[in-house]
Amino acid sequence: MKKQTLNLNINGEDFELRIFPNELLVNVVRETVGLTGTKYACGTGQCGACTVLVDDEPVLGCMTLAVSAAGSKITTIEGIAEPDGKLDPLQDAFLKTNAIQCGFCTPGMILVGKDLLKKNTNPTENEIRHHIKGNLCRCTGYNGIVRAIKKCRDDMAERNL
Amino acid sequence: MMEKNKFNAVSKITRRKDGMAKVTGKETYSSDVRLPHMLYARVLRSPYPHARIKSIDTSEAEKMGVVCITYKDTPDFKYNERQVSIPEKTYRDRNVLSEKAHHVGEGFAAVAAKTEALAEKAVRSIKVDYEVLPGVFDPYEAMKPGAPKVYDEILLGENVLPIENNIACKRQVSEGDVEKGFAEADFIFEHEFKTGRVYHAQMETKSVVCRPEPDGGITVWPTTQSIHNTRQLLGAIFDIPLNKVNVHRVAIGGAFGSSIQMNTCIPISVALALKAQKPVKLSLTREEDMYDHCKYPSIIHLKYGLKKDGTITAGEMKTVVDIGGHNIQAYPLLGCMSGWFVSLYRMPHLNFEGTAVYTNKAPGCAMQGYGNPQVSFAVESMIDMIAEKMGMDAIQLRLKNYVGLGETFWGQGPTVRSIIRSCGVEEMLLKGKDMIEWDERIKPEMKTGRYRRGVGVARGFHTSGTGAPTPGEVIDYSTAMVKVNEDGSVDVSTALMCHGGGTLEAIAKIAAEELGVPIDKVGISPSDTRNTGYDVCTHATRGIYCGGASVQRAAKKAKERLLEFASRLIDVNPEALKIYPEEGTGQGIIYLPGTLQKNISVGEVAKMAQLKGWGTAIGVISHRQVNCPPCFVTNFIEVEVDTWTGEIKTTRAVAAVDCGTPVNPDLAAGQLEGGLCRGIGLALLEDTEYDTESGELTCGGTFVDYKFYTPVDMPPVEHVRTFFATTYEPTGPFGAKGVGEAANNATAAAVANAIYNAVGIRFAEAPMTPEVVLAALQKQAGVEK
Repeated sequence: MKKQTLNLNINGEDFELRIFPNELLVNVVRETVGLTGTKYACGTGQCGACTVLVDDEPVLGCMTLAVSAAGSKITTIEGIAEPDGKLDPLQDAFLKTNAIQCGFCTPGMILVGKDLLKKNTNPTENEIRHHIKGNLCRCTGYNGIVRAIKKCRDDMAERNL
Repeated sequence: MMEKNKFNAVSKITRRKDGMAKVTGKETYSSDVRLPHMLYARVLRSPYPHARIKSIDTSEAEKMGVVCITYKDTPDFKYNERQVSIPEKTYRDRNVLSEKAHHVGEGFAAVAAKTEALAEKAVRSIKVDYEVLPGVFDPYEAMKPGAPKVYDEILLGENVLPIENNIACKRQVSEGDVEKGFAEADFIFEHEFKTGRVYHAQMETKSVVCRPEPDGGITVWPTTQSIHNTRQLLGAIFDIPLNKVNVHRVAIGGAFGSSIQMNTCIPISVALALKAQKPVKLSLTREEDMYDHCKYPSIIHLKYGLKKDGTITAGEMKTVVDIGGHNIQAYPLLGCMSGWFVSLYRMPHLNFEGTAVYTNKAPGCAMQGYGNPQVSFAVESMIDMIAEKMGMDAIQLRLKNYVGLGETFWGQGPTVRSIIRSCGVEEMLLKGKDMIEWDERIKPEMKTGRYRRGVGVARGFHTSGTGAPTPGEVIDYSTAMVKVNEDGSVDVSTALMCHGGGTLEAIAKIAAEELGVPIDKVGISPSDTRNTGYDVCTHATRGIYCGGASVQRAAKKAKERLLEFASRLIDVNPEALKIYPEEGTGQGIIYLPGTLQKNISVGEVAKMAQLKGWGTAIGVISHRQVNCPPCFVTNFIEVEVDTWTGEIKTTRAVAAVDCGTPVNPDLAAGQLEGGLCRGIGLALLEDTEYDTESGELTCGGTFVDYKFYTPVDMPPVEHVRTFFATTYEPTGPFGAKGVGEAANNATAAAVANAIYNAVGIRFAEAPMTPEVVLAALQKQAGVEK
């Protein structure tokens, strides 16, 4: 197996990478590019910690070949705040509602939560739980995370009034 | 009693200091550490549960240009990864790499290579000739004569300890005359309870990076709950002076006890790094992690004697614990189990017998509660059974017999005892009872239909640390440094860990409170073993109570120095000065009560002290708590049983804790919710089972087949309610006790009691999976017909 060139756009920045065609997106993002906010936790697509957005859709980095993302726009947890550092509303809600404990599931949770609020601006609690059910958390019992997404939903609704 | 509203920082809701890093993906966990020229490691692990290596050939791997080590290359040093007990009570049965496997997944050899893929390829090329030995997977089978011997001998401290019948250790504790106590009873109750081998399932798998240093030393970034114990053990194994072993604190992606010890991956990476003379990273796969450790399971035979009026006359607990392939901390575990048993309900006469047995499974280790969820599951289920039989209210029976104010609490087995000085048991039971509408409960036989709901209660506690007036079997103290910087900000330096629950946030608040500066002014310094004094471990729910107390004392010392400097500047006796946090300037203001003339900010004083050459206001303290107060907990849980499928849903819950002053009220509430979730998992879903032919986990080491709660399984946000008892612990920093482990200790019994109230079936074995529940429901229906 030979290395090949892969062009990726991650968080708005272009990267020209030399990788093996069998490398996984999670490893390329973490080890080759050095964006370690994307986490490895199960390696088998069962916990959601490695979630990244590929062309705005959540994708499991441990189940995706990096080469398959060629030409796509990839967003990781490091790329969702504004360039001046202003947090994404959902990051802010996680911070304000104590949705974080160890923080290892947090990047994945925020990215799937963002995906939900983009697709459904007024989700019910049940819809929130079902949208994030592919992401596991061992610390919080999930309710803090659900509260954060609800708060973000309500904050967004208030701003749009 | 001090009133809560007198606090400036403690009990305030703040944005956690590590929050920004965690929501932006910038927090550094062990698995995120990347160094120049770093190699990646993989480990050759036993595919057999019990096997000895006859020969091993690494020549193919060596040809790939990798660094390779086997058990022959690592120090001949038996160790126990847990270093919390004194050496004489430390059972040592491990090597860095082993020539004998005691369970599937034990490491024989390891490889470091430029990529993880190459390391894996090289590991697979290693040829091993195994002598496969018969395995044993059941503790009772293991104790029979002629059973396969997991060990012939190990070390206890420095002495050789022969192992007979696979019994790793035993412990017996008695007080009074238990036979006399049972003879005095009007009723005798006996039952057997079991809990499973739950897996920690912390989100970050165990991981480490080790860098060899030019002076022969090493620098290590591990997943651990104790950087100092990791350092000491690495120093001993590799014979490196401690001042050349530097272990860094990095964020940990969940602990729950899984990293209470120096994890086995750590010395493997050190051995590789020393040979390669390059940094080496070793991150376990989820499957490897699941074979590394699990919660201690329990089989508990419980017996109580009671008078007609509900007074307990005697109690006896006999337990057998299947510890798996290594004895990490079975001896203190059995001691603790006796302590949890003794401290739940008063027994004038009691007996405890515990036996820990080796089998060829993944080793058991500490996991949230350390034997307490297991003991509480048995005792709190039994209390409900007794109340039912005696026609008493389950809450009244508890109130009549619980160990409370002024009585003795065994915080860490028989050698670590303290007198209870704060207690919210009654408050939590009575308030929680109203919140869940306890008095609306109806008996299970009145319930009909497919879905049946029931409400259950259970109480419990955990210790706050392992402090005691005299040294015991368990080491417990913390060291802290607090210094006031030249702009009025503060650095707090300790080796305490935050596992996510907010320990370091609490530490910052305690320093701010003592110094009288705004919480925003306090920073938690990065920490490593060279720059901090010893701290035993962030375990045993000791972070706030023990670590926080050391920080409070260090802050007090720094404050004394600061006020002495101030007294020179404003010509007031330092004893008369006080400090308060001023919101406008964001500074601590030193003032003389009763006048507005003599004010000066903390920053001005610290700067002037520097300019005048007086020194830094700094305090360094090593502190041991001489108590270990119980943080009590109470759970009320409502479940809904689907009588057609046996599936159980949790529909409502009330979780309360008596943590004294809640230092981080919102984070402590979060701990209660998380503990509830894991406790329900222990009750309903979680266990690791083994194929007794292959010795492999039947779940295959994956999350899909190791079930725990997902976001859709918890009750709705509004139906999980938490509250704090209004107590104040006189021996704790600003009245605080622990929270952490207590949060899950009562849960499994509350679930079992709720199921009984729903369908009238007593489940004494966890997990109560749908298959088990459905079979019992079918049996019940058959009996009724």
